[in-house]
Amino acid sequence: MKVLTAMEFEGIRIDEGFLNDYSKELEKEAKAAEESVYAQAGVRFNLASPKQLGEVLFDKMQIDPKAKKTKTGQYATGEDVLLKLASKNKIVDDILVFREFTKLKSTYVDALPLMINIKTGRVHTSYAQAVAVTGRLSSNNPNLQNIPIRTERGREIRKAFIPRDKDHVLISADYSQIELRIVAAISGDENMCEAFKTGKDIHNATAAKVFNVAEKEVTKEMRYKAKSVNFGIIYGQGAFGLAENLGISRTEAKEIIDNYKKQFPNIQKYMDDTIHFAQEHGYVQTLMGRKRWLRDINSANFTVRAFAERNAINSPIQGSAADMIKLAMIKIHREFNKHNFKSKMLLQVHDELVFDAHRSEVEKIKPIILDCMQHALALPNDVPTDAELGVGENWLEAH
Amino acid sequence: MPKKLFLLDAFALVFRAYYALIRNPRITSKGRNTNAQFGFTNTIIELIKNQNPTHMAVCFDTHAPTERHTDFADYKANRQETPEDILSAVPDIKRIIEGLNIPVIAIDGYEADDVIGALAKMAEKEGYEVYMVTPDKDYGQLVSENIKIYKPPYQGGKFEILGPKEVCEKWDIEKVEQVIDILGMMGDAVDNIPGIKGVGEKTAAKLLKEYGSLENVLANAENIKGSIGEKVRAGKEVALMSKKLATIITNVPVEFHEENFLIKEMNKPALKEIFEELEFKTLGKRILGDEIDGAPEAWNGSEEAKPKKAVTAQMDLFGNIIEQPETLPIAIGSGSDEMPTGADKNINNTPHDYSLVQTDAEINDLVKYLSTFNEICFDTETTGIDANEAEIVGISFSVKPGEGFYVFCPEDQAETSRRLQFFKPLFNDASKTWVGHNIKYDMLILKWQGIEIAGNTFDSMLAHYVIEPDGKNGMDALSEKFLGYEPVHIEELIGKKGKGQGTMRDVEPEKIKEYAAEDADITLQLKMVLLPKLKEREVEKYFMKWKTRW
Repeated sequence: MKVLTAMEFEGIRIDEGFLNDYSKELEKEAKAAEESVYAQAGVRFNLASPKQLGEVLFDKMQIDPKAKKTKTGQYATGEDVLLKLASKNKIVDDILVFREFTKLKSTYVDALPLMINIKTGRVHTSYAQAVAVTGRLSSNNPNLQNIPIRTERGREIRKAFIPRDKDHVLISADYSQIELRIVAAISGDENMCEAFKTGKDIHNATAAKVFNVAEKEVTKEMRYKAKSVNFGIIYGQGAFGLAENLGISRTEAKEIIDNYKKQFPNIQKYMDDTIHFAQEHGYVQTLMGRKRWLRDINSANFTVRAFAERNAINSPIQGSAADMIKLAMIKIHREFNKHNFKSKMLLQVHDELVFDAHRSEVEKIKPIILDCMQHALALPNDVPTDAELGVGENWLEAH
Repeated sequence: MPKKLFLLDAFALVFRAYYALIRNPRITSKGRNTNAQFGFTNTIIELIKNQNPTHMAVCFDTHAPTERHTDFADYKANRQETPEDILSAVPDIKRIIEGLNIPVIAIDGYEADDVIGALAKMAEKEGYEVYMVTPDKDYGQLVSENIKIYKPPYQGGKFEILGPKEVCEKWDIEKVEQVIDILGMMGDAVDNIPGIKGVGEKTAAKLLKEYGSLENVLANAENIKGSIGEKVRAGKEVALMSKKLATIITNVPVEFHEENFLIKEMNKPALKEIFEELEFKTLGKRILGDEIDGAPEAWNGSEEAKPKKAVTAQMDLFGNIIEQPETLPIAIGSGSDEMPTGADKNINNTPHDYSLVQTDAEINDLVKYLSTFNEICFDTETTGIDANEAEIVGISFSVKPGEGFYVFCPEDQAETSRRLQFFKPLFNDASKTWVGHNIKYDMLILKWQGIEIAGNTFDSMLAHYVIEPDGKNGMDALSEKFLGYEPVHIEELIGKKGKGQGTMRDVEPEKIKEYAAEDADITLQLKMVLLPKLKEREVEKYFMKWKTRW
């Protein structure tokens, strides 16, 4: 509590000049993409209107003879639809660029400067402790969780978060694969625990097992598939979800999952045990003992029950990760106070912590941060936790 | 005025209402899921309010097997068990319908769609405009110039009215009678109607274009080329049976006595009782006017004028006959944020001792008094919800249930700061535990005043979050749930949410006193009831660990 109060009080400095420039740049590029769309379509229309866009793409240009309509009779032009068409049509690419840039500009680039506190000249995000049922913190004004990381242009936004002054730099420290480590630790699956203990690339190791090849022979594609299964497990995804995600057939997805379960038998056991536990006790709990009640776990209706089962599997994993980073934050806060550091902990996003570090203290606080994070909460079965740390002149550079 | 009859397919609507809210369920203080009741009530009220029905009935399926089950053992055999929450909702829903004085119709051996079909045809003959209220596509076969489908809005969308033109367009057919020909060929997974293996909607429509009816398709099966021909030839019998299963039986032993279906005055006491049981506070008020107990409440997310309008529209509706429709979007899924009701205690009927503290002498006395307690509950009143920008307007304390103090902080910030300094030693005393609701906010406000809490904290919001992570954590909701006490609502002081809302700065300190001291008092009482609950659920250790460290 005191830790969060301190962080919210601190806030973080925002580079308004950068955001201004970036806003103009995005506007220019969005405009260029828009013009390019009109040129290829041979007609000007309102690109922001899905209805008009659908008519142009599917009636006029007929880029997809099998175009689907939504219930309201319009063509579907959602991101998922367009992404599938993007590889074949430059116009669709341009539309996606237009949408992404306009969204970035309005939601973040133009919005962030408006959140600057008049008194401090900094942005003070506000953490909600009791919103996410898993125990994770969520944040508002700005919502840091939402800042896009998947695209290059989205990541650029992190450049706007800068150190307090020229005497400071930003440090970002991030847990590595924390949820999967927790899965390994709680399930006690030997193969997975072993992979973490020997410091292997977990997705690579998974791929080797699932596809039955030597670790050196794992292709990019295999690793990607293995990664999807690994995360799918955390979120309780089945063959259908995996197939959707990877764009593969359900049969292939099922084969991968079956192989996975064979190679990591205790993971399946963990899932079954957790569901049984929940059915018997009505709740599941994190490593620290925080509970989540699942009232629908014994429902006779499949859909309702499946929803509760997914939560049963997922809650202890996400919840333990949430507990862990909170413990780390408390430790770090105490250590910083003890040493009377000028450096401050500023942000918590997902599994990452961001600090304003005084240049003279960087080397001193680095090991403290890493140590506090790695030893916040000991995992069962001796699974090690690992955190990575970066330093930079802005959040992007530090990350 | 045209006579408009609305026939509702109860189960279809109830299922939809239930699933629409499944990710964000409405749970009462007693732990019941009321998605189905809530969604269904919204649908029926919206109909009454916006569609000007003159007559209405709600049709239910019964447990008795129908002709379809005896004909085809697998009919609807793929259905999953009905969710328990829906089963337990049905009696409530029937009570609500009865409270609205709308007839409930169920005929053994027939499904709701048969009953609706039969009634629709009879009413049509008597000159009615009939609307079958259902999301179910099978009803397309019954549609005519005067019988239409009313598809209720879903997830914030708009309702749809489907007449013959819309139905024919949807299936790509010539006339609505062909809906059963299509269904006979393509089958219907929802009802486990098999259809012809390998024939889908598109193929079925194409075949019908050529041959006009299923029977004619089958008669000409020998002439149909390629694999489709083979499939049709192989599936003849199954197709005929499927068509029969998909056909709505309009020859049902039911009579249409129009006076029974007339929209009548609702039975307010009966509705009041059920709405209170289900804790439908806002919705209840919207329907019954102000007859549900409790203070007026904010109209969620809309401008000030709306609640009045809604109530007026309601009065018009059930008192007289409505003149023009009131467009009030009550979409299923918008899940309005209702407070549990059932709280019969409030500031007006509960003894309390709240005092306003202003002078230095009074402040000194208060500090002295508080310092004799180890556990102090406090709450700040401010000008806004952003603690980094808000100004403090006052601070309240409570150390005993029913007792509270409100320290007024004037607009003059220097004076405010001076007054707060009196409390600094208290906050700096590491032996004191501070109780608050969302205490981080108050701590941040204090931090801006240069005051930090040295001791432990107990946050009633977080305590409840640990007890029930999926539940609502607002102080008002918790107070009603655990204390049966409805606190003064902030809207009574600063107005409803929206542009016209003022700030605490504009309110008389004497008036804030009641509200603010009550907050501290209630938070303290919440702590007292939540502590044993933490033990009961065996999460106390977890909670206390954070309490001391976080």
